[in-house]
Amino acid sequence: MSEEKPKATCGKKIDRRDFLQGLAGVPVLGAFALAALKQESYRRSRKAQAVASGAAQGGAADLNVALLGVGAQGDVLLNSMLKIPGLRFRAVCDIWSEYNLRRAANLLKKYGHEVNSYEDYRDMLDKETGLDAVIIATPDFWHAEHTVACLQAGLHVYCEKEMSNTLEGARRMVQAARATGKLLQIGHQRRSNPRYIFTHDVLLRELNLLGRMVTAGGQWNRSAAPDLGWPKKYEIPAGRLRQYGFNSMHQFTNWRWYKNLGGGPIVDLGSHQIDVFSWFLGVNPKSVMASGGTDYYDPATHEWYDTVLAIYEYETPRGTVRAHYKTQTTNGSLGYYEQFMGDQGTLVLSESSQIGAVYREKTRAGSWDEWVRKGYLGEPKIIETRADDTARDSLDVRETISPDEHKIALSFFDPYHKPHLENFFNAVRGHATLNCPAQTGYESAVAVLKVNEAVEAKRTLYFTPEEFHV
Amino acid sequence: MKNIQLSRIQWISLVALRMIIGWHFLYEGVAKLLKGNWSAYGFLMESKWIFADLFRWMAGQPALLEVVNAANIWGLILIGLGLMLGAFTRLAAAGGILLIALYYLCNPPFVGLFYSIPAEGNYIFINKNIVELAALVVLLLIPTQQMAGVDRILAKLLKKSPRNPAS
Repeated sequence: MSEEKPKATCGKKIDRRDFLQGLAGVPVLGAFALAALKQESYRRSRKAQAVASGAAQGGAADLNVALLGVGAQGDVLLNSMLKIPGLRFRAVCDIWSEYNLRRAANLLKKYGHEVNSYEDYRDMLDKETGLDAVIIATPDFWHAEHTVACLQAGLHVYCEKEMSNTLEGARRMVQAARATGKLLQIGHQRRSNPRYIFTHDVLLRELNLLGRMVTAGGQWNRSAAPDLGWPKKYEIPAGRLRQYGFNSMHQFTNWRWYKNLGGGPIVDLGSHQIDVFSWFLGVNPKSVMASGGTDYYDPATHEWYDTVLAIYEYETPRGTVRAHYKTQTTNGSLGYYEQFMGDQGTLVLSESSQIGAVYREKTRAGSWDEWVRKGYLGEPKIIETRADDTARDSLDVRETISPDEHKIALSFFDPYHKPHLENFFNAVRGHATLNCPAQTGYESAVAVLKVNEAVEAKRTLYFTPEEFHV
Repeated sequence: MKNIQLSRIQWISLVALRMIIGWHFLYEGVAKLLKGNWSAYGFLMESKWIFADLFRWMAGQPALLEVVNAANIWGLILIGLGLMLGAFTRLAAAGGILLIALYYLCNPPFVGLFYSIPAEGNYIFINKNIVELAALVVLLLIPTQQMAGVDRILAKLLKKSPRNPAS
């Protein structure tokens, strides 16, 4: 093999050899550019196919979707759905045609979806043919009417929680789903969250990490906030507001605080977590007592309680579990989470990816090393403290007083609602079963709506098993 | 130690190694740029080991995360171009080493650490990041750019004495 030492080039003119060897990387860069452009072309083509209509592109699996209600929550769902391939948005409906409707249609246009816009859902159902599914994110008091009409029009429905502001409305939704044979998913999105499913299926059911569960808890704390406003130049005319059940623009934008329209914070926030209580404990509650009131805001514009504390009792196959829940809207400290405590461990879990750990009760639980090795749990973080000053004379030891903290090994960084929507669309395609079908959503509504009743009654209210059935 | 001269084929192999790594860096950067909404958030939030708090803190600062995203994308692109063309090669190799070291420290494959971001292989201490980092150290020390690269022309234009690659 011949040996070569690259020639020193100092002080000489650039010759042909320097030029050729100096630019040796240029053809490689050219090949790179060709490959990258081709790859980008394929990528864009695939993306276009994903949003193209099934009819035009021959993609039979693509679903034609309409949005009914595109306010704040509808916007959240829409942004999640734009990340899901295989959807073709056909129509958008919102009574705020001056603002919400225009904004949603413009957003969809940017993503290549030419949608028809409607102010009245009946108009949309009459004119739109070929729809597969409707996503409903209207105020709670409209859910029953909208859902029943869409199901009866032959469409599958994803409806935001709370299923309805009345149990009568929620019952009609379950009955309509049964009668039509169409799918109805209720938007308790934690039911499809991979961390929650992993925790329920593996940590609680398979490994029984907590042992005998005795108490549960949950909270959702929100900072004080002014009422929601609206751009004056886009006000909905008073006649149209009345037609759709609102007295004013203030009531329209802040409907969650009004009785007969929404359910207040315990329903908006608490229903997600109280639903987790029933899911993780495997039973519906036996009783509830609650205290609440409009303690901070103006009761004239905040008819529902800004602060609610509730206590549930659950009769599980392994014994009684008592659960407390708090929602308050005047201080956001400590955020939102659920916790379950058994004689062998404690679980703290939240939709927020920052919170998610189990704590081993050292005196009762066996070793969790195997679950750490298998990747179910993170390495233990041992919290140690020194004995306090008064005990130092007699104790010169490091005393471990806290249980080991293990992070839940599964992380989730997608938009919170995306897996629940994916579950719905996969079910529509026949590839999955719903994670929160109508009956499950109904049972959750029974448990949650009773809290407001208990506040009024100022006593413990009991559930009968029949109440949870339709 | 006796100087060892490299044969032509050995030099060509090293230049090819540099271009291959440059290609990898460049496409990683270009793909992230073209994606439009790429963010290091998920990777940083997955961080484990003693620097986890730092990386997660970075992920939690929206303004800082924007800077991290841009620095990562353009760092990958510029390093890739430098290595592929042999332009400012030592700077590019050093930058590449720094970048990969940060990736490694963010999610090190140490005993007892498990990640939810799936890896395409199985690693303990040594992963492909470390292999690429080691290759860049070789390229930092052996001036392949004087064999083939824009630096060969720049050195002549600037009349700067290049280091004898065989010494």
